[in-house]
Amino acid sequence: MGQDQESSQTPEEQLSRLFGSFKAEWLQEQLFDLFTEPAYFPELVTPRPCLLVGGRGTGKTTALRCLSYEGKFALSGRQPDLISTWPYYGFYYRVNTNRVTAFKGPELPDEQWVRAFAHYFNLIMCDLVLRFLEWYELHSNTSVEIGYDACQKVAASLHLATGNTNRELADNLDDSRLRFEAYINNVGDGQRPPLSLQGAPIDELTKAVLSLPQFMDKSLFFLLDEYENFEDYQQQVVNTLIKHSGQLYTFKIGVKELGWRRRATLNENEQLIHPADYARINIVEKLKDERFREFALSVCNERISKLRFKDQTLPLSIESLLPGLTEDEEAERLGVNQAVASIFKDLSSTVPSEDLSLLGEIPPLKVYLIKFWSEGGQTPLHEEYMDFQNNRRTWDTRYDNYKHALLYTLRRGKRGIRKYYAGWDVFTHLAASNIRYLLELVVESLLLHLGQDKSLSQPVSQEVQTEASQQVGKKHLSDLEGLSIHGAQLTKLLLGLGRVFQIMAADAAGHAPEINQFYLWETLDTADEAQEEELNRLLTSAVMHLALLRSPGNKLADETQTREYDYMIHPIFSSFFLFSHRRKRKVQLRGSELLGLLKSPKNTIREILLRSNRTIDEPLPEQLHLFEAYYDGAS
Amino acid sequence: MALRNRPLPTDIYEGWNSFLPLDGSAYVYGTSAEERSAHPSDWEARCSNVKFVRVTERNSSEVSVDLGVAASSDGNVQLRSKEQLRRFWNDVGAESVYLDITGLSHHVWAPLLRSALTTGSNLKAVYVEPFDYRFSPTPTEGEIFDLSERIIGISPIPGFASLTETDDDDVCFVPLLGFEGTRLQYLVEQVQPPAEKIVPIIGIPGFRAEYPFYTYQGNQSALRDTKAWKNVRFAAANCPFSLFYALEDIAKEYPLDLLKVAPIGTKPHALGAVLYNLASFRPVELVYDHPIRKPTRTAGSARLLVYHLSSLSLNIRE
Repeated sequence: MGQDQESSQTPEEQLSRLFGSFKAEWLQEQLFDLFTEPAYFPELVTPRPCLLVGGRGTGKTTALRCLSYEGKFALSGRQPDLISTWPYYGFYYRVNTNRVTAFKGPELPDEQWVRAFAHYFNLIMCDLVLRFLEWYELHSNTSVEIGYDACQKVAASLHLATGNTNRELADNLDDSRLRFEAYINNVGDGQRPPLSLQGAPIDELTKAVLSLPQFMDKSLFFLLDEYENFEDYQQQVVNTLIKHSGQLYTFKIGVKELGWRRRATLNENEQLIHPADYARINIVEKLKDERFREFALSVCNERISKLRFKDQTLPLSIESLLPGLTEDEEAERLGVNQAVASIFKDLSSTVPSEDLSLLGEIPPLKVYLIKFWSEGGQTPLHEEYMDFQNNRRTWDTRYDNYKHALLYTLRRGKRGIRKYYAGWDVFTHLAASNIRYLLELVVESLLLHLGQDKSLSQPVSQEVQTEASQQVGKKHLSDLEGLSIHGAQLTKLLLGLGRVFQIMAADAAGHAPEINQFYLWETLDTADEAQEEELNRLLTSAVMHLALLRSPGNKLADETQTREYDYMIHPIFSSFFLFSHRRKRKVQLRGSELLGLLKSPKNTIREILLRSNRTIDEPLPEQLHLFEAYYDGAS
Repeated sequence: MALRNRPLPTDIYEGWNSFLPLDGSAYVYGTSAEERSAHPSDWEARCSNVKFVRVTERNSSEVSVDLGVAASSDGNVQLRSKEQLRRFWNDVGAESVYLDITGLSHHVWAPLLRSALTTGSNLKAVYVEPFDYRFSPTPTEGEIFDLSERIIGISPIPGFASLTETDDDDVCFVPLLGFEGTRLQYLVEQVQPPAEKIVPIIGIPGFRAEYPFYTYQGNQSALRDTKAWKNVRFAAANCPFSLFYALEDIAKEYPLDLLKVAPIGTKPHALGAVLYNLASFRPVELVYDHPIRKPTRTAGSARLLVYHLSSLSLNIRE
């Protein structure tokens, strides 16, 4: 899009275009224009199998599509002369659920489905390579015919009619796929067509390609996105190819966390092992904290630099657009001074006025801590104040520990903003290394800001940022239901856990601060295999679809052992529910309690809270009123 | 195209008790817990010269059929078997056949329909509208009605798998909208169509005047996020033919794209989508999420519609 066209769009339209198309598939060609190379990218282009692990919105699809030949062409300025100089050529394929689920059913025994699927996979991979060769010829204007002999070999391997050229081979492959489709659609009739040997046609074809002068010393990558969509046995089929790839081609796999369910090849005793067989690139681990902030900063500022306004004003940088608040500033906005005035009044009746002068010298939030502590310990306020005067160092440490937690209690039960979620730094925490979530937070804030007749040369108020973060949290909560077949359960789990942590944050006096994680009790309280399976399915789905984040617990963990991990509600939901977005302290929960949040939420929430002497009576925050029916659900 | 070139061969009856199948015909049906699928058992006593064949689901790809003693099969029919389906229709043995889709799941009636259309019999589909749908006691944005327990997930309807590969950008996604917005969200998430090529179809007029508003309300989140609300088309909710023609029009507007049609709205719309899939020269893919219906999802029954499918003379692909 030209600059004139850009400046003729309203700021809102430009923002929506640049920031609002969060999904790679919605960006289309713009995907490549807006690509910012993440720090892990160089690892992906090595000629060995890679597993790119990350939740929705972490950038898997973008990275894989940028590795594809179409992506590389766009990224290198669409210069045909350069195509032959590339060190690798990648063929992108997104695993399509509606195709791969056709390969199951009671009509065939498992081993025959394996053979049928392996043949189908051969057809797809060969088709990708042949389409690439056609593209290469078209763009580089040089012939890349693999030749008569190679065509014969590939055709024989796939049981196709013979073809003399790449084009004929591709046409015959297409015909063969249609016949195969007819077979699958009438699989109950038998009459199975001849099937190819697993991987053999891919080997034949890639060998022929690599023997062409254009491709000597080049690498060929099959880029398989959404690997989790394969059936379990299908993952084993492809794992077998991954295990034995390397000479002619390699695989780059994009998968959601816990979506790689089978590590074995078709030989059950043969596992794919990191790092011997493949490089595991976990996006969240690779883009942690500062690295993510840098990456996100560069993504956002790059997009902001593309904004063009009619009045020639220049937008601020993203960090300046999104100012945060210190805890003391935030406390002031949340009304700490009124609380301090009341503390002063209470103490005046029991403490000599000369001893109260100290109160005026320390930050109001610290004064508030004294009252908070006296309420938690159920000790008289003046006693805590005396202790404060005599043990300043102890109270300094206490203040450090509780400073942030105090903010959640200042406007407990009141209407309006109860806690601010504002500032670039806070937003990167809320996004938790998820670039899509961050872009959503940014664009929602900026659009609300513009809606208040402000411009992008003015910073966005903390109130607007907080409102935006709640809206994004709410949107993801409602989206969760449509993400997977377990969507409704995930929503209920999140509503239940969110309420538990919200009450814990508001009712913090006398308790550990900032509880927002949980781990499962070791003992199998369910004592029921079906329930245990249901629990595992729930937690796996919650992690896969980013309702929860998990991190290894105290013990060395096997990835499949759900009980050995710590879990945290994704911080993107923290402003909606009102608890800390920082990864802090954890609480023990029973498996049966997690399941109880789905089936009998009110009783289960009450039980969990009762263990720490809290009650469910805390009024629902305004934004949760929509879900009142769930919270009233006794069973 | 003028209406005269787009016939809507449909008989509409005020209720199931104002209609009876013709003498000498066969009536193939299934029953569910919904009240509106119970009528065939009443007719059976009144129509001695009609062969009633009850179809019962056994699993995702097999049904059992009650054909009486003269059947050549063992009473089970695999839905991914052209041969067994053909034998079934031979055993039904009537020239005029009704296929009542009211109490049958999509994965059952669609393959039966496909096979019936290729046997040359005079095929009519029957559908009974519900009197009302059940409102959810705990409605959220995408769930005003309480219709499905859960979904099994995307997989092809038996006999309708498509292995045609195409670039993700060359897809036009046509969801036929119902009330359950989460199903649209799920499909958009799975299909990942280009946002500007999502063309939803809403049933207007609806079974009842207010239903289109519920459809918008239930689907608002996905319609807003994808901006697909800009592309919405309409077709009468109880008319498969109107839907068929709407798909024809969309196909013309997107001549180079693979049409992926998601029949998650009314059954007559799903019927239109299946007919279009069978008659189109271009590959059309059906994408379906297989919901498990709640037994009490609807209440009562309203109009009964008979669709004269054979009178369209469609050129059906086998």
